Amino acid sequence: MNNNWLIKKKEGLYCIPGDFYIDPIYPVNSALITHSHTDHARPGNKKILGTSDTINIMELRYGNNYCQYSQKIECGKLLKIRGVNIKFIPAGHILGSSQIYLEYKGEIVVVSGDYKRRKDITCDSFEVSKCHTFITEATFGLPIFSHPNDIHETSKLIKSISENSDYCHLIGVYALGKCQRFITLLRKLGFDDVIYLHGALMKISNYYIDRKIDLGELRNISELKTSDYSNKLVLCPPSSLSDRWSQRFRKVIKGFVSGWMGIKQRIKQKNIQLPIVISDHADWNEILTTIEEISPEKVLVTHGREEGLLSYLKQKKVTCNALNLIGFEDEDD
Amino acid sequence: MIKFSKLLDDLLLNSSKKKKIKILKDYFNSLETNEKELALSILSKNFSTKLIKANDIKIMIKRKISEDLFSYSYDYVGDLAETFSLLWPKSKEKKTISFFCFMKSIEKYNNKESLINFLEKTFDNISSNEIYAIIKILTGGLRVGVSEGILKECLVEQGVRNKFEIEEYWHAFSPFFKNFFCWLNGEALPNDINEKELFHSFMLSDTFDENLITKLNIKDYVCEFKWDGIRAQIVVSNFGKIYSRNGEDITNSFPELNITSNKVSVIDGELVVKKNGKILSFNDLQKRIGRKKVNSRILDEYPVHFLAYDILFMHDSDCRNLNLSSRKKKLESLLKILNVSNISFSPLINFNSWNDLKNLRNKSLNNHIEGIMLKKKNSLYVKGRPKGCWYKWKRNPFFIDFIIMYAQRGHGKRSSFYSDFTFGCWTDNSFKNLVPVGKAYSGFTNEELKDLDRWVRSNTLERFGPVRSVKSSLVVEIAFDNINFSTRHKSGVALRFPRFSRIRWDKPPNEVCVLNDIKKLIN
Ligand SMILES: [Zn+2]
Ligand SMILES: [Zn+2]
Repeated sequence: MNNNWLIKKKEGLYCIPGDFYIDPIYPVNSALITHSHTDHARPGNKKILGTSDTINIMELRYGNNYCQYSQKIECGKLLKIRGVNIKFIPAGHILGSSQIYLEYKGEIVVVSGDYKRRKDITCDSFEVSKCHTFITEATFGLPIFSHPNDIHETSKLIKSISENSDYCHLIGVYALGKCQRFITLLRKLGFDDVIYLHGALMKISNYYIDRKIDLGELRNISELKTSDYSNKLVLCPPSSLSDRWSQRFRKVIKGFVSGWMGIKQRIKQKNIQLPIVISDHADWNEILTTIEEISPEKVLVTHGREEGLLSYLKQKKVTCNALNLIGFEDEDD
Repeated sequence: MIKFSKLLDDLLLNSSKKKKIKILKDYFNSLETNEKELALSILSKNFSTKLIKANDIKIMIKRKISEDLFSYSYDYVGDLAETFSLLWPKSKEKKTISFFCFMKSIEKYNNKESLINFLEKTFDNISSNEIYAIIKILTGGLRVGVSEGILKECLVEQGVRNKFEIEEYWHAFSPFFKNFFCWLNGEALPNDINEKELFHSFMLSDTFDENLITKLNIKDYVCEFKWDGIRAQIVVSNFGKIYSRNGEDITNSFPELNITSNKVSVIDGELVVKKNGKILSFNDLQKRIGRKKVNSRILDEYPVHFLAYDILFMHDSDCRNLNLSSRKKKLESLLKILNVSNISFSPLINFNSWNDLKNLRNKSLNNHIEGIMLKKKNSLYVKGRPKGCWYKWKRNPFFIDFIIMYAQRGHGKRSSFYSDFTFGCWTDNSFKNLVPVGKAYSGFTNEELKDLDRWVRSNTLERFGPVRSVKSSLVVEIAFDNINFSTRHKSGVALRFPRFSRIRWDKPPNEVCVLNDIKKLIN
């Protein structure tokens, strides 16, 4: 960082004059939260600041102890904390997700959090904001990642269901964001049947419904009193695809909705028959386009496959560095 | 190339043999005859272009992308064809190239530069999946789990030829399979093929059941050792060939057994490693199996020997309609004529009674003998498994208690169960450290599998991808056919065909033996 007011500490990214952290991995006094995925929004902080959806979902997931004090902030609204001007800007990643804009003594830094550039009707689109330093994620920071069209990917499932009506389709989706976005894509393509959800997906989906996002008819799979799952579509968390719970589905086609499903070796490793390549992260070209549109003086990379991105940016003579922040998982995994 | 790339994807994602056969069948049905021949040549690993190597592929892609980005990407993906296809700049025009056109075009090139030039132009217009398929074809290893056996099973369902016919005539058509599909659908064999020189399906044995002792007349049978090697067929002809049990051409792996002559003779027997007059274990033989080329060091270290026990052709004349006793005589005389030191007559064992045989079987506890064979003196050489002619009487397996150390998720139907187990024993009498001895994934019932799965999940120590390490507390009795020293295994021993015999839920793990006790089983 040019003037060292935003630094890396063991808890995470720290703003010295504002005395707060961004997405800390250990409990701290004061934290700004980009979005409510569990690797970015952890429980136990004293004070947190975030969009109302981020804070509501944290409370929904962690219960009362999600923090001691929370403050909700509207996107686009300016807030001053001890001389640092702060703004939350939509990141297009999941409901409530935002980038964090920081301005101190005329120097502007934007922390991207997780983001994508594709259309997603469950959340506000990414906004480009000019800054001196852009701190980006790089989950898919290699040129091998080029996410295909999400409508085309979704139609693969609809086709498979119509061709294999005697099978159950068990599809792994990330519980927050991917699940609901994927359902809206299915509905958009005219899939009107009941969609059955693993219990772990119910709470957040209901929250999306409360927020007026139309998901059509959803039902908890545990309410289904039968052992015949043929011709049913069941969504579950990715980890459940191979756990004991999934053993009840005898004649089953397993799918996984994830940006990693663009890699054949990965699909094979996960024992997936129906890979659906849809991601809530920017792919390689989208990361590059974003950096180009913002054209900051400096790029810092938080987490993901940063070696590739850094090597490319250095070749293009962009000033850049790795922050090597730990604790952020490949959340689609 | 779209259909072929889809085929590769489907084969990669479906690990069950049944599914693979169905996928191949549908694929062949969608092709024209001339495409079928090419596809079969590629799928059976008979197609090759000597012009392009993996390194040339790397050079091509590094002209499009920096060395760094290529190597980070390759590290992540782990497969050259896939990395290449994902990195090649995407085409704007969505053209495709037909499988047949592509294969015919590359035939025309005889130097590397012009072929690479053609490939670059082609890649600029097609989808990454097609590029992937092309690189896989050019570099050989498809690695989609299709063996020659699976292809042959699929082809049985494609035409009017049975399993034996396909096995036997396979090598008349490979590597290009010209007119293979016409023949498969009932047309006559092309004239230029000499049937005698081809592979001939083996005669197989039944498992001996002790109830037979009262039913069989012992005087009708001869007895031989059942060697622990691999069954093979040596075809002495103008070229000379060696075939494995299912008709795979293994001549290149065992060149020192290849004999040429202008008269065709075919002998049947067991391939073993024999050094300084001693037959070595199956482990040593494994160093020779599957090699495309054998260097002189391997030839010296693991010299192979053929123990011949039957003859199908002698000097162009068919012996299969002679009885076993006459065939044995013919075989002995042929071996005298051939006069090579690494092929010998598998000796007959003298015996007078069933008791003699029982003793022989139990005493055949030797690391290169699996038991004994009983063969009816007046039986003809019949392909397949004719009833009541040949019996294998294996000695009893070993049963030893081991401790489960790791469990891995299975494939296909078993993909949500931990069904592949690594077991081990104590390194010494302090009962502190375990050493892995082998892997087993069969021998339990479906109910037991569920119990094992539940046990693994609730006794996990650590997870590494699909593998879990578990508490050293579950004892299982493992059955195995043989045991030998091995330098490839950490424990220093290798078991032959280990499988579950029973799960000993109640047995305390410190009653399991230590490694030295197990080594004592080897003689
Ligand atoms: Zn996220
Ligand atoms: Zn993240």
